[in-house]
Amino acid sequence: MNAKSPKRKHLKIHTILRRTTAFLFLVLLVLGALDWISWFRGGTTGTRIFGIVPFTDPLASLEVLLAGGVTKPLIWIGAGLLVLLALLLGPVFCGWICPLGFVLDLNETLSRKVRHRIHLKGRKGLPLLEPPDGLRFPLLLFVLSFSLFAGFPLFQTFSPINFLGWGIVFGVWGGLLVLLILCILEWVLPRFWCRSLCPLGGFYSLLGKAAPFRICISKSRAGKTLCGLCTTHCPMGIQVMENFTTKGFGSIADSRCTRCGACIDVCPKTVLTLGFCGKGKPLTQELGPALPCRESSFKKNESCLSGGAHGT
Amino acid sequence: MNISRRKFLGGCGLLLGGSSGFISSLLSGSGPVALRPPGAREGKEFLATCIRCGQCVEACPYDSLKLFGLGGGLAMGTPHVEARKVPCYLCTNEDELKCIGACPSGALEPVEDRSKVRMGTAVINHKTCFAFNGVTCRVCWRVCPFQGTALVYDKRMRPTIDPKACVGCGICEEACITEKSSIVVRPANSNEGVG
Repeated sequence: MNAKSPKRKHLKIHTILRRTTAFLFLVLLVLGALDWISWFRGGTTGTRIFGIVPFTDPLASLEVLLAGGVTKPLIWIGAGLLVLLALLLGPVFCGWICPLGFVLDLNETLSRKVRHRIHLKGRKGLPLLEPPDGLRFPLLLFVLSFSLFAGFPLFQTFSPINFLGWGIVFGVWGGLLVLLILCILEWVLPRFWCRSLCPLGGFYSLLGKAAPFRICISKSRAGKTLCGLCTTHCPMGIQVMENFTTKGFGSIADSRCTRCGACIDVCPKTVLTLGFCGKGKPLTQELGPALPCRESSFKKNESCLSGGAHGT
Repeated sequence: MNISRRKFLGGCGLLLGGSSGFISSLLSGSGPVALRPPGAREGKEFLATCIRCGQCVEACPYDSLKLFGLGGGLAMGTPHVEARKVPCYLCTNEDELKCIGACPSGALEPVEDRSKVRMGTAVINHKTCFAFNGVTCRVCWRVCPFQGTALVYDKRMRPTIDPKACVGCGICEEACITEKSSIVVRPANSNEGVG
């Protein structure tokens, strides 16, 4: 093959899939509201499939329980199903279903492309700031205690996820203005909502802390390029390979990981996959750096860490 | 997490103390006045129980229910009826009240019978009502689903409302022929004397 021929673009399968599922959810919501399909009904906080199977946002259910006390048992079936899913799969809602996540994901891609263009022209672009982490949990606690003490489900009323749902599904457009501001803000603070503010994301993260479904790191393939593309493309700002390089774990342990697969799609050496690999066990007891073992890890059956520890 | 535990809890406490009392006083002072769907819990309790999913809006066969937008303030995302536009027809052609069946959270509670629904009470404006100004008009009486109990005609052919029987569906409000409806449903959660 001619060396000058442009490299064929790698198919970003996870990106395509996760955007398809999120878009499909939005389409189903709209079709249900238009009464074009009879088997799907609901909004962003609660849906019902075939008129029987309920799904209700577990955080919304908890807020309502704390605020209002007695509720229909149906809500617990709906919330329970999603809690089970989160216990098993982690916060997949964020990466694969959330309509706001979908919009902000597209917004981020657009902003990346524009930034790239500006960069190529040699101009100074917009400032790029790092959104603060660790605010989601205090906000979650605040929202829950607010429900308990003020008797009012605060997040369900002012959630941008709901604004989007009400705007698109029920034609209540007012809240979409808030989303527009959020989208513009995220050109400077990428994924500010998901990373720093979203209490629902925080809630799912907590539920999914021990989920077996994770982004798995292939120990035999890791450490070849050290390109760091996974980390620069992670929407949640996770140091993707850190858990492997510092502790030797075969999966991403960070609870913020939404299993969106953005890191998998950019990895040039297919180090990362989605699967039921759990938190995994460390490769060796010694905590050695993976960096010096680049060459040795090419050899079969020789672990990167042991190579690093012996000093290549 | 980068934030220390003390800061974290302290911040939460501050936020909580500052604002929950404020909003709770707002809520108890005056719940948003709106005509709620049938079976709705009382004012503040409804706001506390409704998860704002909109399934009642979708279930309504007559498109009577609408969600509040930004103008609804704290009631944003909750359902209400604008009776002058589309009243609640109490699902007369259906086997049950559809919105109550669709509600996943129990914000809309089952009612034994359609006559037990209490969305509000119709109030007649005697100044503008034709019947009170010498012109015979039976429109509201004709459309009332509880004709003869909720809305009765007196000897002088004037409509009167029995607050004990009126369900507050708003069908009369929609039907009234004066430019601004002379019969208006006062929602059950309004603070002014109801009943």
